Formats: sequence, structure tokens, C-alpha cells
Amino acid sequence: MTATPNDSAVADSQVGDRSTRWRFEPRIGTSRWWQVASIFLALLAAFAVSSLLIASAGANVLEALQAMGRGAFGSWSAAAETLVQSTPLIFTGLAVTVAFRGRIWNIGAEGQFWAGAMAAHWVATNVTGLPAPIIIAVTIIAAFAAGMIWGGIAGLLKARYGASEIIVTVMLNFIILFTLSFLLSDAWQDPTSHFYQTAATPEASNFPRLLAKGRLHLGFALALVVAALVYVLLWMTTLGYEIRALGINPVAARYKGINVATTTILILAISGGIAALAGAGELAGLHHRLRLDISTGYGFTGIIIAMLGRLHPAGVLLAAIFFGALVNGALGMQISTGVPVALVQAIQGITLLFLLTADVLARYRLTRVRPDG
Amino acid sequence: MDSLLQATFIVGLLAGMVRIAAPILFGALGELVVERAGVLNLSIEGTMLMGAFVGFLITYQSGELWYGVLGAMVAGGILGLLMAFLACTLKVDQVVSGLAINLLSSGLTFYLFRLAFKNVGSQNLPSISTFDVVKIPLLGDIPFVGEILFSQHILTYVALILVPSISFILYRTKFGLELRSIGENPRAIDMRGLSVTRRQYLAVVFGGVMSGLGGSFLTLASAGLFVPEISGGRGWIALAIVIFGNWRPSLILLGALFFGLIDSFQLSLQAVGVKMPYQLLLAMPYILTIVALVLNRGRSQGPLALGRPYYREERT
Repeated sequence: MTATPNDSAVADSQVGDRSTRWRFEPRIGTSRWWQVASIFLALLAAFAVSSLLIASAGANVLEALQAMGRGAFGSWSAAAETLVQSTPLIFTGLAVTVAFRGRIWNIGAEGQFWAGAMAAHWVATNVTGLPAPIIIAVTIIAAFAAGMIWGGIAGLLKARYGASEIIVTVMLNFIILFTLSFLLSDAWQDPTSHFYQTAATPEASNFPRLLAKGRLHLGFALALVVAALVYVLLWMTTLGYEIRALGINPVAARYKGINVATTTILILAISGGIAALAGAGELAGLHHRLRLDISTGYGFTGIIIAMLGRLHPAGVLLAAIFFGALVNGALGMQISTGVPVALVQAIQGITLLFLLTADVLARYRLTRVRPDG
Repeated sequence: MDSLLQATFIVGLLAGMVRIAAPILFGALGELVVERAGVLNLSIEGTMLMGAFVGFLITYQSGELWYGVLGAMVAGGILGLLMAFLACTLKVDQVVSGLAINLLSSGLTFYLFRLAFKNVGSQNLPSISTFDVVKIPLLGDIPFVGEILFSQHILTYVALILVPSISFILYRTKFGLELRSIGENPRAIDMRGLSVTRRQYLAVVFGGVMSGLGGSFLTLASAGLFVPEISGGRGWIALAIVIFGNWRPSLILLGALFFGLIDSFQLSLQAVGVKMPYQLLLAMPYILTIVALVLNRGRSQGPLALGRPYYREERT
């Protein structure tokens, strides 16, 4: 059943064949070529399965895909909307990237998203009478800080008490969601509405739009800046070196004199801060009021984005735009072919699974085995 | 009169506790076996969701509740097989594999639900009639206790019986010993010529079946309908309860009951119309799980090799 290196070697030796043969053997490290190739292999496989899903909806696959493409990139405004959809994904993808580079499993980007959205809402409604640029700057800083705290709690508990960050971040997701849903039914509820939502935030706090038409907002520009900053952080600073060292070998990192506890806390705090910017962007850039449906699971999709982007900011950008296009295109597809938008969520999960499988191939190489004697 | 109200309130509260604990107990007991075999399976949430969906769909189509339960178990087993393949054969990172299955299940159930039930909104959700409560003869007539423990769904009894059964298998049988050894030191089992991989596959598939079963409870015994994300974090609670219960069946039962109690408490209060921030009460189990994690420091008896893939030869 297993494809362990040992098994294949045994299989070879048992067949006393003298002819030249090929076999898989583990390679040292992973092949750079495969790192990229396996992404495309995974996308191709996911594409095939997605076609099956579309066909099972009784729609013409080609027609549906065309509608999707048109919806995502069919016009300048469609392309701009694709970037709007990709904005929160860039943030959460980057957040997960920082954490996973240090092998810290931050599953809490979703909760940190909400921490950011809540902080942004609070600033927008309570800090008034200042010029708009200052309010916006304060919003961004407050959101980042809120995310740092929400992520940092998990970091602190891991560093200080050895509590698994996986469990803690997942629990924190639920805690903040219940807190928010309480606030939305109580102190923060829009008094003029019976929906669970806040009143619209004052206009001065809204992120400016980047284009004359469409919804593309400051959040996208901020996401690009943060992507660059994450690159600088990971590959040009001491902290980044320590994060990556911790990710490769925590024991060696400790012996090298890296303070594992501090680094762990910083990783989760920074990761949380970046994820929170997604929340701030969605609130101040698009929705202008808090509702429970302003995230469609961006924090969790961020995990897929980060893996697909090979835990690299440039890869994350590409992956986020690709998934943003899927989300945006799926709307067009639903309208013209009736295939439910929910297809996108299914594609995301399938892509990740195929990627994980294809990655295994990158750990092996096909070599020619000469018969020895 | 007042005291009667009190008694019915408490009986209702405790009966609710047992009912709510059951699906979580399925997930947690399954995960216990999986983790004892050294595999960290984070896909309970997604597997429960898939079980809830498949169970509902099959029952809706066939009108047969038990077909739904069976289908949910098979669906859970398939996801377990997928998890085992990723974790034990491909040796992909177990955290990432589990998350991937959750995301897959979340997307797939959402899509298939939309596909199976078109033009469905919150007003006209398709529904089925759920399992009836089965009152056990004699025992069910005991005052209070009978109503709390012996007037439940059949699946609830199954969940409760599974606690001693799994305890017996893990601690009193050869297979259980082998499983637990794999969680502590897989090489020891391998050296004896026993297949680590095969045992891990069995454990993970069993865990999947249990999660699927727990999921089917949600749609077929509790809700009678399916909505996307109906699992609502119960899989994660199950995972937390395994840690909370220090990898012991009896403590896991307590953990599940504790969660059930809090949830039942807020439901009962809402039913009587007490105005209170029930969302904050709902957050309690999650807060307490974190507290338990922190307090458990150093006393944890989690399997030593948990989450580490086993290579017969260390990779070069």
C-alpha cells in the first residue's frame, strides 16, 4: 500500500531482471521545477473534476467556463472586480504565509479577519472630526493592532504554556464570532434595522476608490504594499531569517540562539495583523457596515492561497487573483448557465487536495537503475 | 407548582445535554482512536458535515432513515480513507491534509446541496421527519433518570455504549495495545513485523465512519433538515474534547456532556424566554477549551508520536 522508498527498492530487488529499469527514488530536497509543475498538474486535475461537477449540474461545460472567463476578465470593469474579490484573499494568503513559513499553524485568519473588521468599525464610528486620510490611517493601524492581539494570544499561549496554536486559533475564531454576533444583536445593532448589522459608517472613514468606475478600493493597493513588505520581512530581515529557521528545524533554531518563544509570538501577532487588514479592507472599502456575511471564509481560503502560492508573496498574489477571478467569474456563470456559485468553494478544496498529492511527486525522482552484476 | 416547573426544567436541561453531546461524542471517540494510532486528523468537522449532508440527502430521496445513517457512515469512511491515504501513504503534513479535507467537504456539500435542491431559500428548506425518541422499557419509567437517560434517540444510546466499548478495545485487546503502541512508538510495532500503515488506515477510516455517523445525527435525529455548515464547529469541539479529556474515553464522555450542558442551558433559557446574551454562553465551551489546554500543561498524556508520519527508513 505504501510507496515508501524502501518498498520500491525491495520490489526491484525481488524481480531478478537484468534489463535497465526506471524507478522512483527520494531526492534530496525538492526539485524547483516540480514545485512549479505540480501546481499546474494540480490545477489541471482540479479543472477536470470541476468540469465533472459542472456537467453534473446539467450545464454545458464549455459554455459555463466561457461564462466564467467573461465574468472574470471579460471587460476592464470585470477585471477590476476580480481584483476587488482577490483583495481579502491576498491579505489572508499573506497572513498564512508568514505563519506557515515558521511552521506555526495559524488556522485563525478568519477570526483575525473579524478582529480587524471590528476594530475598523469601531474607529470609523468613534473617531470623528479628523481629516479623512488620518481617520483611514488610524483605521488601518487599529485593525492591524487588533489582529496582532487576537493572533498574539495564540502565540503567547503556545510560547508560554505549550498550548497547540491549531486548537487555540480555531477556538478564537468561534469566540470572536459569538462575541460579534452578540454585539450585532445588542450594543452595535443598527437601531433603524431589525437585521443583525451595524449602522453604516461615516463617509470620511471609507477607503477611497482607485478607479473612476467600479469598486476597486485602497485595500487592493494596501495588499500589494503588504505583499512587498512580507517579502522584505521574510528574506531581508533577521526576524524573517529566524521565522524561516524555526520553520525548517525548531530544535536547530533553538541551538542557534533564536528565541523560539518570542519568535512564535511575533509570527502569530504579525500573521494576525495581516489577516485583520483583510477585515478592515472589506469593511472600510466595500461594505461600510458590519454584518456576519462580509466574510465568506476568507481566512480559510487564505490557507489554500498560501499553499498554492508556495508560501511566497508573489505566488500568493497570483493565487489570490486566480481565486478572485473564480469567485467573480462564478457569478457570471450562475446567471448564464445556472451552475451554482458554490462551485468555487468546491474547486478550492479540490485544488488543495490535488496540490498536496502532486507535491509528493516533487519529493521523488525518476532514475535509471543499472543492473549491478 | 413552582417546584414542578423547576423539576421539568432541570430534566429537560439534562436530557438536552445528553442529546447534544451524542454527535460530538461520536466525533471525539473516533478521533481518540485515530490519535491513539498516532495520526492527527483535523478533518472531523468536514467529515461530520459530509455525513450530515449525505445522510440527509439519502433519507430525503429514499424516505428511509437508516439508509441515511448507513450512507453517512460510508461517506465518512471514504473521507477517512482519503485522509489515511494523504497522511499514511503520501505522508503529506497531517495538519494540512486535515484542513484540505475540511475545505473540500465544506465546498462540496454546499455545491451539491444547491444542485440537489434548486430554488431553495430559508423559507422552504427541504425537511425530513427525524428519528423518534425510543423509550427503553422499565428503565425509561424511572422518575427523572428515565427521562434524562432512557428516552433518547437510538443513536444516542449507540454513542453512550461506544464509550465502554472503545475503552475495552483500546485497553483490553491485543489490537488496542498495538494501536496505542503505534501512537507512542511505531517502530516497535514495525519491528515485530506488524504493519503500521494497515493499522493506521483502519483507525483513520474508523474515525471517519464515526464522524460521519455523528454528522448524520445532526440532520436525521436533531434538525430534520440540512443547511450549509450545519456542523457548526462541533467537529472542532470534538477535537478539543479529546485533548480536554486527556485521551481517555471516560473523560471524553465528561467533556462531551459538559459541552452539551452549556448548549442545552442556553437553549432552555431561550425557550423559557429569559433575556440574556446567549451568544456569550455559546462561546463558553471554546473559552474553556483554551483554559483546559493551558491548565493541562505538563499533565498531557497525548500519544508521543502524534502527528508524525512514520517512515520505515528515515528519509535521506
